[in-house]
Amino acid sequence: MNSSGFADSKSAILSRIKQSKLSAKLPNAEPGLPERIEYPSLNEEELLSRFLEELKALEVDCYIESSPENVRRRIKSFIHGKSILSWDAQCLPYDTGAILEKEKVFYESDEINIQAQAEIGLTGCDAAIAETGSLALIQKKGQSRTASLLPFVHIAVVKKNAIYLSMGEFYAKNGKDITGAPCINIVTGPSRTADIELTLTLGVHGPGKVIVVIGP
Amino acid sequence: MSSFSARVKRVINDNELHIALSRATAQLRSSRSASLSSLENADLIRDMARRAKLNILHDLDEHLLKFEQRLIDNGVQVHWAEKGTDACEIVIKIAQKHRIKKVLKSKSMVTEEIHLNDALIKTGLNVVETDLGEYIVQLADDRPSHIITPIIHMTREKVGEIMHRSLNVPYTNDIPKLARYAREELRKEFLNADMGITGANFGVVETGTICLVTNEGNGRMVTTLPKIHIVLMGLEKLVPTLADLDLMLKILARSATGQKLTSYTTLIHGPGDREDSVSPEEVHVILLDNGRTSILGSEQAEILGCIRCGACLNVCPVYKSIGGHAYGDVYAGPIGSIVTPGLKGLAEWKDLPFASTLCYACNEVCPVRLDIPEMLLSLRKKIIREEKIPLGLKLGMKGFGIITSHPKLYKIMRKISSLFLSLISKDGWIKSFPTKWWIPTGFLNGWTQVRDFKIPARKSFQDMWIERKKSHE
Repeated sequence: MNSSGFADSKSAILSRIKQSKLSAKLPNAEPGLPERIEYPSLNEEELLSRFLEELKALEVDCYIESSPENVRRRIKSFIHGKSILSWDAQCLPYDTGAILEKEKVFYESDEINIQAQAEIGLTGCDAAIAETGSLALIQKKGQSRTASLLPFVHIAVVKKNAIYLSMGEFYAKNGKDITGAPCINIVTGPSRTADIELTLTLGVHGPGKVIVVIGP
Repeated sequence: MSSFSARVKRVINDNELHIALSRATAQLRSSRSASLSSLENADLIRDMARRAKLNILHDLDEHLLKFEQRLIDNGVQVHWAEKGTDACEIVIKIAQKHRIKKVLKSKSMVTEEIHLNDALIKTGLNVVETDLGEYIVQLADDRPSHIITPIIHMTREKVGEIMHRSLNVPYTNDIPKLARYAREELRKEFLNADMGITGANFGVVETGTICLVTNEGNGRMVTTLPKIHIVLMGLEKLVPTLADLDLMLKILARSATGQKLTSYTTLIHGPGDREDSVSPEEVHVILLDNGRTSILGSEQAEILGCIRCGACLNVCPVYKSIGGHAYGDVYAGPIGSIVTPGLKGLAEWKDLPFASTLCYACNEVCPVRLDIPEMLLSLRKKIIREEKIPLGLKLGMKGFGIITSHPKLYKIMRKISSLFLSLISKDGWIKSFPTKWWIPTGFLNGWTQVRDFKIPARKSFQDMWIERKKSHE
């Protein structure tokens, strides 16, 4: 599938590698290392408290709600009267889509310049990673990449039973979902830069504020 | 290209640079060590990450073939480029095929390495850098000076002036305001972009995953909004599995900025359906050699395991004194002193391996435990072996060898030279060595050109040892 007229480059490079391997002076890895990292198995409450701790350090606002109704009420308090760029209703947990009916909502199917006008992005979350405070968002039908990217505020609805300790664990348990998606974004706090004098500044290109609402 | 010492001379008296460098490197160092200490099993994870990289390098050809197959299965178009110019040509051809006018870039060292921007601009394309630091570098027509923080050498006032001048915005030295200027300017670009170009932090062989990390979100913009996404990656950037990727991500951000994880970790498998989603309809991966295979065949092959975290720059006493530009090419600091001669040939870059005090600080911080000092030494040996050494130096070293291997002779010579040095010194220091025909010490002035020479203490360690022994008897 080499479409560029450098068809011989591949074989030239591969044969140079073979040649180089003969003279390479590469050290060997330390022997006796374990195959993989063993993670402690934490229960749901322990995972939640670790996740919260990391979110706090990232300056992510976090709300824990005891019922689907409370989740919806909480989210409504943020989005009411604002313009919203959302995942499709059926992709949001806790029937959150129901509260969107009376709001000004844009979806991925809208023109990109329309999507870019939204003040708030609303998404679900395929998996939360406790040890880094991350949100794994898998691109699929109805789950746009733009909702967590274009607006200045990103609200993610997280199911309590979707919290993993590490990214390694998430990969291991969701292999097919991951490799089958064109793109997975793992979001860890707001967009940030420290390029000017190493001074932390939030929201340079992506959202400057991330809000996580955790439901039962 | 000016010589290393000429470049150093240019920066060594730049006070602003020194202040910026020492502030920045100190902060990066302390956040790194705080962050790494928060990682459980850090030593084990570093060993395992090193193993993953070495495994790739030991069988690079087979891994590349497997990676290519996975990419193709995922609907990605794969290209191989032997040289930087080939890679540029591939990018240009794709751009021409789709009648692209403007290209958006996310920060990438490898595109700097092959001077992609220049090549694209020459064919009439408009190129926009989107990482805040790189954007400012581009506005100022400057060069990045650090792998992680490209404008580590600029003050906020300087940035304010640059933005004021090139964007026609009111001058400010307020950092959040400066960042907002960039957000507004670049947002327009993102929304109208047709083609995005990025590097890759890692390629996962098992799954054909391209992993890209950015903090600002520009990497996400560039890989999401344009209809074409081109990934340019050095062919050494592979890791075997997603589990190995997890190891790498655990150490990369911690070593680079002190974060546990970069704000955005983007895993790309291929094009999306542009009909009903906002994602590229074509994804291209260019696998670049550009000298990497020759490094693989050298004594410095291990350097291909570098994950470009920049930790070795921040601890290096030489980097801290001269900054990134003095290294003369895109890769600065200890790794630059190995990578640049490796990629571009030792002949023109033979002073870089000597730009090190061999203090081993780089060796200690490297997350994948690359033996950087050992590689610098092996390069030095190679240079010395190939170089024609002047007769005077040869005889001098021979004489020095004879003297130091004969204790009695050594003692006599030490006394003589000590007496001599104290005669030509003032208050224990020599500002420059005499060059009269009867005192031919001019050849030592290489030292005093940049610093004074402190004469040895009058009493040597051996003398003190003997005295001490006597007084204890």
